[in-house]
Amino acid sequence: MAETVQQSTFDNREFIAFCIGEQEFCVDIMSVREIRGWSPATPLPQTPDYMRGVINLRGAVLPIMDLASRLGLQSNEPSERSVIIVVRMGERTIGLLVDAVSDILSVTQEMIQATPDVACDKVKSFVRGLITVEGRMISEIANERLLPELEALAA
Amino acid sequence: MDELEQIKLTFFQECDELLADLESGLLAMEAGEGDSETVNAVFRAVHSVKGGAGAFALEALVRYAHVFETLLDDVRSNKIAASPELVRVLLRAADILADQVTAARTGGVPDEAATAAMVGELEGWINGQGGAAAPAPTQESPAGAPSAPTDELGIGFTPMTISIDDFAAEPTAAAPAAPTDELGIGFTPMQLDLAEFDAPAEEAPAGEQAWIITFHPHAALYAKANETALLLRELERLGPIEVSIDDSELVSLEHLDPESAYLSWIVRLTTDVAEEVIRDVFEFVSDDCELTIVREGQEEVAEPAAEAAPVDDVAALIAQINAEPVVAAPAQDEILPTVAAAPVVAAPAPVTPEPVVQAATPAAPAPAAAKAAPPKAAANEPAQPQATIRVDPERIDRLIDLVGELVINQAMLAQRVGEHGFAPSSDIAMGLDELEQLTRGIQDSVMAIRAQPVKSVFQRMPRLVREVANQTGKQVRLVMEGEGTEVDKTVIERLSDPITHMLRNAIDHGLESPEDRVAAGKNGEGTVRLAALHRGGRIVIEVQDDGRGINRGRVRQIAIDKGLISPDAVLTDEETDNLIFLPGFSTAAKVSDISGRGVGMDVVRRSVQALGGRISISSRPGEGSIFTLSLPLTLAVLDGMVIDVAGHTLVVPLTAIIESLRPKSEEIKALGPQGSVLAVRDTYVPLVDVGSVLGFRNDLMPATDGVVLLVENEDGGRAGLVADAIQGQRQVVIKSLESNYRQVDGIAAATILGDGRVALILDVDAVVALRRREPRAPEPILHAAE
Repeated sequence: MAETVQQSTFDNREFIAFCIGEQEFCVDIMSVREIRGWSPATPLPQTPDYMRGVINLRGAVLPIMDLASRLGLQSNEPSERSVIIVVRMGERTIGLLVDAVSDILSVTQEMIQATPDVACDKVKSFVRGLITVEGRMISEIANERLLPELEALAA
Repeated sequence: MDELEQIKLTFFQECDELLADLESGLLAMEAGEGDSETVNAVFRAVHSVKGGAGAFALEALVRYAHVFETLLDDVRSNKIAASPELVRVLLRAADILADQVTAARTGGVPDEAATAAMVGELEGWINGQGGAAAPAPTQESPAGAPSAPTDELGIGFTPMTISIDDFAAEPTAAAPAAPTDELGIGFTPMQLDLAEFDAPAEEAPAGEQAWIITFHPHAALYAKANETALLLRELERLGPIEVSIDDSELVSLEHLDPESAYLSWIVRLTTDVAEEVIRDVFEFVSDDCELTIVREGQEEVAEPAAEAAPVDDVAALIAQINAEPVVAAPAQDEILPTVAAAPVVAAPAPVTPEPVVQAATPAAPAPAAAKAAPPKAAANEPAQPQATIRVDPERIDRLIDLVGELVINQAMLAQRVGEHGFAPSSDIAMGLDELEQLTRGIQDSVMAIRAQPVKSVFQRMPRLVREVANQTGKQVRLVMEGEGTEVDKTVIERLSDPITHMLRNAIDHGLESPEDRVAAGKNGEGTVRLAALHRGGRIVIEVQDDGRGINRGRVRQIAIDKGLISPDAVLTDEETDNLIFLPGFSTAAKVSDISGRGVGMDVVRRSVQALGGRISISSRPGEGSIFTLSLPLTLAVLDGMVIDVAGHTLVVPLTAIIESLRPKSEEIKALGPQGSVLAVRDTYVPLVDVGSVLGFRNDLMPATDGVVLLVENEDGGRAGLVADAIQGQRQVVIKSLESNYRQVDGIAAATILGDGRVALILDVDAVVALRRREPRAPEPILHAAE
């Protein structure tokens, strides 16, 4: 019995859930380095509009991506209550600007459903799957897919 | 990583150093600066590579190194004169050795054909030259060869003759006898006639005979992972052995040091091989043991193995000479009979060889020891350089990052203190000043840790030059200067490519063919000079050739043909020369394998500019060209001018700025629909509105409302950058945008200002180029944060 419990704990994945507007999203907790409040970013010229600019993260220059804009959602001007989720993507670290962090989820693999085909292109490419928790639908962000486009732009 | 892998890694690191020593030694020989110690150092380098390779069972490397070493040994023992042709062969052999080492390190396959060809060539030298030189009973010191007539101290060498008729196989001579050395001590040439000595060691063995081998390993032998049992096994291959152990030095258990060596072995070997062959078994351990090899029945005499053994009386000394014709061998692992080698001359002690043989005084052992000492010191020199430590570069990078943060933090603190209105004379403000000085001190020291001499880049270049010279059929002599010039590691890494290109270009395009050179009254061998120097807080690399210079007429014609300049453009000579840096320019009539591979000088210039550097060329027809590359000493910090543009704070590298000025409206002239130029001392420079180029605002700001920074870009072209205001001058720490994001047009990097905010560092050339790009796509306007 103890073994089964251990096994299932091992299978569990944890996610940080956050809100953008009315919708909830989440990212794998293992990719999250830290969560911090919004501080004004220095805008970068010649970059897509979902790039908010760069901020100073303890001496490192951290690019900030406006996730709402990246997902094609209504983007609001960041307020003091906006949150930056610092995530690691391969070799890079970037900050995702979201409205608020809502929850930490512990889910098993079975609880994650594939993204339905009805979704628009952006949702299909950036949402890896859907998680249902207490009747809320939470979309898992495939955060590594946010990046290849950056690399494509750089090339 | 297991322990063996770790040791292997260390071996390959040492190989790099050894290969560098090898090459510099050979280059010194090529330049005629080599003395016998240089030859020894060259030999030792190959020998050590071979030794280490043997320990890791790198068979191919050992085989090749062995042939190489054999030839070098012949050179060292003056069997073969180190002629310029031979040195050139040796240099190429060293290149192949480097390839072999690389192949061994990466597990790759070395170029078999090239290796085989080189082995053939080396063996040709060993056989051909060695055989021809051998029968000569006496041999003068080869002029210009290892024992050069004068070394850099100005000590004269007088070749002396030694008759060694009995050693037909080893006509080793060149014992030195300098009339006076620096200290005014006289050396009297001596005549050593070794013919009367019986020389058992060198006599061809008539048949099987018994040898008594006494082998006493030192602790160091075991520390280097050698094993007596393996050596004994090797001995057994030569013939039947009887082994007895001498445990007389063994101490009681409580005094026993487990890492020490107490045992000796006495081996009776019956074999028909020569003593040398027996000695070869101990080749790799000879420094770390006491070894005697004598024929059975012969008087047993201590022979200097690791150290010159103390000899008590002259009789014993003579007996020693008798038994083993190695007199003060220059290196301890010396096997072949080298008679009184050159380094003795350098001995500061007032030693003449004569007393050793003639004077029957108890003082005799002292000169013998003194003779042995200097070569030993010289021999150990490469092994024990000044105390250095190896540090993982990542640790230093981390330290530099931390210091960078400290600098930022200190600046933030200073700003806060200023905001709170403390008087400059207050304790806090003064303490802060001290902090600032300390911070600067730490920063400079940390940067100094990472500074490296450019030698590491330069030493790769002789090989490149040889290869390019071979491919182009040109004769090239490379002269390098200022190899000790230090520059930050970040810059070192980026120097290699531009230098490679400049050198290729100088040889391929600059130098003429030998025939053309001779026809032009020049030496058939072209000279390319590669120099590094510090100038004005930057490192300057110059590549100069004495070739034909740039054909300006042709350069101009090509530039016109390719539409790079208009046919009626008026260019100065310098401007014409620098056309070769334009994209799409290549003067080579046919695309050669060497320079015209599509990566032209424009790419070199772009990469140099990306580092905040400049590259230019100047040329004199018929006399040659000189490439000048200048780079900042570090890529970690930068002196910049902090400016305001449309509410944004930007940093402009100070090196790009010529002057800043506040233009009057009559100095600004409109040109075209949107463009305008500024009259600066009778020349017109185009104005570039930084804010609109970067998309910070849509409309051009009138230049009269702000300031103009007069900047010079790499082609020497000028432009005026229009900014709102200048905040001041500041040293900033460069932070890459690419590490977390990507390169951004017009922006070189970012930095963090005193208030903790990120400011962007302007890429001046790119901003000027962006302005030229027409028609411009409308950019979304970026609003300043807040």
